[in-house]
Amino acid sequence: MSVVCTSSSSSLSTLLLRRRSLPVGSEVTTFFLIGSNNGSSLVVKVVSMQLFGQSLKYSTKISGDSDTHEDFRSTNKLEGSGISVQDVVQQDVKINPVMIYMKGVPDAPRCGFSALAIKVLQQYRVPISSRNILEDPVLKEAVKAFSNWPTFPQIFVKGEFIGGSDIVLSMHQNGQLKELLSDIKGDNSKPSGE
Amino acid sequence: MVVTKEDVVAALTSSLSPSHLQVIDTSGGCGASFDVEVVSEKFEGKRLLERHRLVNAALAEQMPQIHALSIKKALTPSQWKPQSENEEPAKI
Repeated sequence: MSVVCTSSSSSLSTLLLRRRSLPVGSEVTTFFLIGSNNGSSLVVKVVSMQLFGQSLKYSTKISGDSDTHEDFRSTNKLEGSGISVQDVVQQDVKINPVMIYMKGVPDAPRCGFSALAIKVLQQYRVPISSRNILEDPVLKEAVKAFSNWPTFPQIFVKGEFIGGSDIVLSMHQNGQLKELLSDIKGDNSKPSGE
Repeated sequence: MVVTKEDVVAALTSSLSPSHLQVIDTSGGCGASFDVEVVSEKFEGKRLLERHRLVNAALAEQMPQIHALSIKKALTPSQWKPQSENEEPAKI
């Protein structure tokens, strides 16, 4: 890949690689030229997008103002210092108060246990983030290693691994889930039917 | 290798020495889908997550072949007693 850009300090040049038809786990890097210090070096903002299934994860870094040309090298962050699949899982559970790794998607679960877990969680009207592990074997293995748990679905609340569908159901029945989810903002944090 | 109910019973018995163990084959005969109830002293002082981890660990060898495992109960002997004696839930 070669990049040739000239840019005044006020202009923003964007190079976007098409992400369609790229394999899962591949990375798309966008370079924003956000300034020029002198004739030879540029300040570059690098936005990396990594493809996992149908979803994207973003990372951003801003380079120093020297040795710019190295930043234009094609990178493979999965092997390098950037985001790994493990980091993706770590970010997922950190950012999303309720995160579920499941088979299928919430609207169309492809396993009875995933369907059960979603049904239980949805009663609390809290935002639920999900990833479909059927779409991504690499992610699937990473999640299993991350939680040291062999099966799906896997539910994380506020960064903590809660368990699978049996545990979520049990916590729903004994009131622990209500307590756990009570401080998560939603339309209405009370379970229906109360 | 197909995992049978007997395999699951044997693995759980040797790892957890349960005082009560129920394994139900929910696959309809084709194997590798089970509901389990385990009562074991080894669950004492452990949260549900940790109890399930013990069950998963006990079945680590069979897990790759098991399609579905539902842990219906993972109780200590003292928790099991009141449950088995009182069929009706106590009124609070």
